[in-house]
Amino acid sequence: MSDKKETLQVGIDLGTSRSSISASNGQRHVVESYVGWPLDMVAKRVLKKSVLIGREALENRSMLDLHRPLEEGLIKDGSEKDEAAVRELLRHLLSLVGVDPDSRNGVKVRAVVGVPAEALRVNKQQVRKALANTVDSLLIVSEPFAVAYGIEALLHTMIIDSGAGTTDFCVMNGRLPTEDDQRTLPQAGDFIDETLMRLVRGRYPDAKFSVHMVREWKEAGSFVGTPKNPVVVTAPVSGKPTQLDITQDMRQACESILPPMIESMLDLLSRVDPDYQEKVRNNIVLSGGTGLIRGLGPRLEQELQAVGGGKVRVVKDPIFVGSDGGLAIATDAPDSDWERLTA
Amino acid sequence: MANVDRIKRQLLRDLVQQNVELAEGRLPKTLRRSRRWPLALRVLAIAVLSFALFGSSRLISSRLSGARGPRPAPAATPARTDRTAPASASQALAATLPVLTAPPQPVDAAVFPLAVHKIVIDAGHGGGSTGTRTPRGMLEKDLTLDIARRLSRLLQEQSFQVVMTRDGDREVSLKERGALANRAGADIFVSIHLNWIVNQRSRGVETYYMGATDDPYLTRLAASENRESGYSLADMRGLLDRIYAGMRQEKSRKLAETVQSSLFQSLGKVSPEIENRGVKTAPFIVLLTTDMPAILAEVSSLSSEEEAQLLTKPLYRQYIAEALAKGIRAYAETAAGDTPEMDVTARKESR
Repeated sequence: MSDKKETLQVGIDLGTSRSSISASNGQRHVVESYVGWPLDMVAKRVLKKSVLIGREALENRSMLDLHRPLEEGLIKDGSEKDEAAVRELLRHLLSLVGVDPDSRNGVKVRAVVGVPAEALRVNKQQVRKALANTVDSLLIVSEPFAVAYGIEALLHTMIIDSGAGTTDFCVMNGRLPTEDDQRTLPQAGDFIDETLMRLVRGRYPDAKFSVHMVREWKEAGSFVGTPKNPVVVTAPVSGKPTQLDITQDMRQACESILPPMIESMLDLLSRVDPDYQEKVRNNIVLSGGTGLIRGLGPRLEQELQAVGGGKVRVVKDPIFVGSDGGLAIATDAPDSDWERLTA
Repeated sequence: MANVDRIKRQLLRDLVQQNVELAEGRLPKTLRRSRRWPLALRVLAIAVLSFALFGSSRLISSRLSGARGPRPAPAATPARTDRTAPASASQALAATLPVLTAPPQPVDAAVFPLAVHKIVIDAGHGGGSTGTRTPRGMLEKDLTLDIARRLSRLLQEQSFQVVMTRDGDREVSLKERGALANRAGADIFVSIHLNWIVNQRSRGVETYYMGATDDPYLTRLAASENRESGYSLADMRGLLDRIYAGMRQEKSRKLAETVQSSLFQSLGKVSPEIENRGVKTAPFIVLLTTDMPAILAEVSSLSSEEEAQLLTKPLYRQYIAEALAKGIRAYAETAAGDTPEMDVTARKESR
C-alpha cells in the first residue's frame, strides 16, 4: 500500500446568495449561503442538529440564529459569528463532496476559492483564516478570473460576473488581471431585492412579505426591457392571500443596476489597448445568477452600439461556472506549486 | 491550443506567486511601485531636488510646515489669544478672542434632545477647487463626491432624508454650503474631506467639530480650507462668536466622537496601520456657518501611497461610506435616546 495520500482538488465559489463546489471526484453541489444555530435547547431538540445549512436553515429560520455570512461576496466585517458561519458553510460544502472536514478521510484537499475582483488583502486573509485546518492547501482567485479560466476565455475577453452581492468585471489579456483590468460594483442581486422590496411596499402598503419572498419573486420573474408576461405574485394582505401585479416594479428594480453596470463596462472597454477593443467588445461573457435576468445580454449589446457594437453571451451553466473554473485551476496547478500554498 | 496552454501556465505561475505573497503578508506586486525611473533620471531628480532644497530653503520650509502639501498656508490664525499689537489681519482677529473665550454659561445639550431626520452631506471641494491630489492624479474633489454619494445611498436606505451640497463636479462656496444646510433645516451636517499629512508614511483619520484651536497645524489647515470663503474679518468675528453656543458645540462633539470611533474601528480592520488622529476642534467655515451639529471628517490621507492605492478601489470607498453611515446612525440613536424624562413629561402636559 502506498504512503502517498490521495488528493482531491476542489473549486469553491463562495457566494453571497449561493455557494457552489466542484470536486475532482466528479461531484458538484450548490447550497444557499445560510447558516443557522438553534436559538435554544427546545429548538435544538426539535431540529436534532447543532447547525443547519442552506435551504434547511432558511426553512427553519424561526428557530434559528440565522446568518447569511457574506456581504458583497465577502465575510462580514468584525463578526466572529459570521466567520464561524463561513467555516461551517465551507465544512458543509466539503462534506457534500465526500470529505470529512475533521479527518479528511486521509485525503489531501487542495482548494481554489473565488472572491470578488476587488477584494482587499484583509478580505483574502479572512478567507484564509476561515479555511485554516479545513483544507491542506489553498489558492485564492478573483471570481471573474476563475470563470475566464474555466471557459478558457483568457485572451481579449471581458467577463461580467453578476451574483447576489457584487457585479465583477474583468478584462482578460492573457495575463493575470491587474487592478486596472478589474472592477467590482455593489449593485447586483441583493441591490435588486432591496429596490424591489421598497417599490412593492410603496405600491401595496398593506401587503406582508419578507426579503426571502422577494428573492424568490425575482428569481422567477426578473427581466429588463419589455415584459414577456405580467409578473403576478401572491402575498398576504390583512391575512388573506392576495395576487399582486408587480410587473412594473420588477422592471424598475432589475433596471436599477443597469446604469453603473453599463458605465463600468464602457469605461473598462475604453481602457483596453485600441488594437484589441473590437475583439473584446465582441467577446463579452455574462455569468452569475444575476446574469440570468431575461433581456440583460441584449440590453448590454444595445448599449455597445454607441461604441461600435459588440456581442454579449451568457455562460451555459452560470451556477457552477465559477466553481468549475476553480476546479480547473486546482487541477492544472502543478504539485510543486501546491506545496507552496499550505493553508 | 498550445498558445492557450502556454498562457495558462504563465497565469498559474503568477497566481501562485501572488498567493504566496499574500500568505506571507507581503504587499502584492500590484501594490508596489511598478515603474522605477532609469538611473540617469533618478540622479537628475536628486540633483534638481538638492538644488531646490538648498537654493530656496525659506520657500521649502514654509511649504513643509503647512499641513497639506499642495496647499499654500494663508495667514489667518483665528485662534491666537495674545493681545500684542496686530501686524496682520489674522493677528487682528486673534486679538478679539479673549472676549470670545469667556463663554456664556454652558447649556446642557440633553435639555434639547434632537432627533435626526435630515442630514446634509457635504462633498469637500468641487469644480475649480480640486483639493489635494495624489502623484497619480487622483483628486480629492472626485473622491469626496464618490464617498458622499455612497453615504447618501446608505443613509437613505436607513430612512434618513439626505441633502447633498453638491452632486456633481461644481464649485460651491463654503458660505453657500452652510447656507444650504441652514435653509434645508438639516439636523446634522457632515463634511467629507481627505487629508494630506506631511509625514507621508502616516495614515490616519481625524474628525473636527467647531471650536477654536491653539495648534498651529490646525490653524493652517483651517485657514487653508477657509481660503475661498468670501467672509470679511467682521463676518469672522460674528462667526467665531457662535463657536461657544455650547449646546450645538456639545452635540457636534458627540457626533464627531461617534463618527471618528466608527471610522477608526471599521477602517482599522482594512488597514491595520491606520492611525487614530482623534477628534479635534478647528474653526472651519463650514462648521461655523451651520446652525446644526456639524463635523468635518478627514476620512483618509492622500499623502500616503497605500491609502491612495486603496482609494482607487470602489470597495474601499464603500467601506469609508459605511463607516460614516454607521457612526451617524449611532449618533442618531444616542440623540433620540437623550430625551430626559422631565422633558417628555413637560411636552405631554403642554398638549
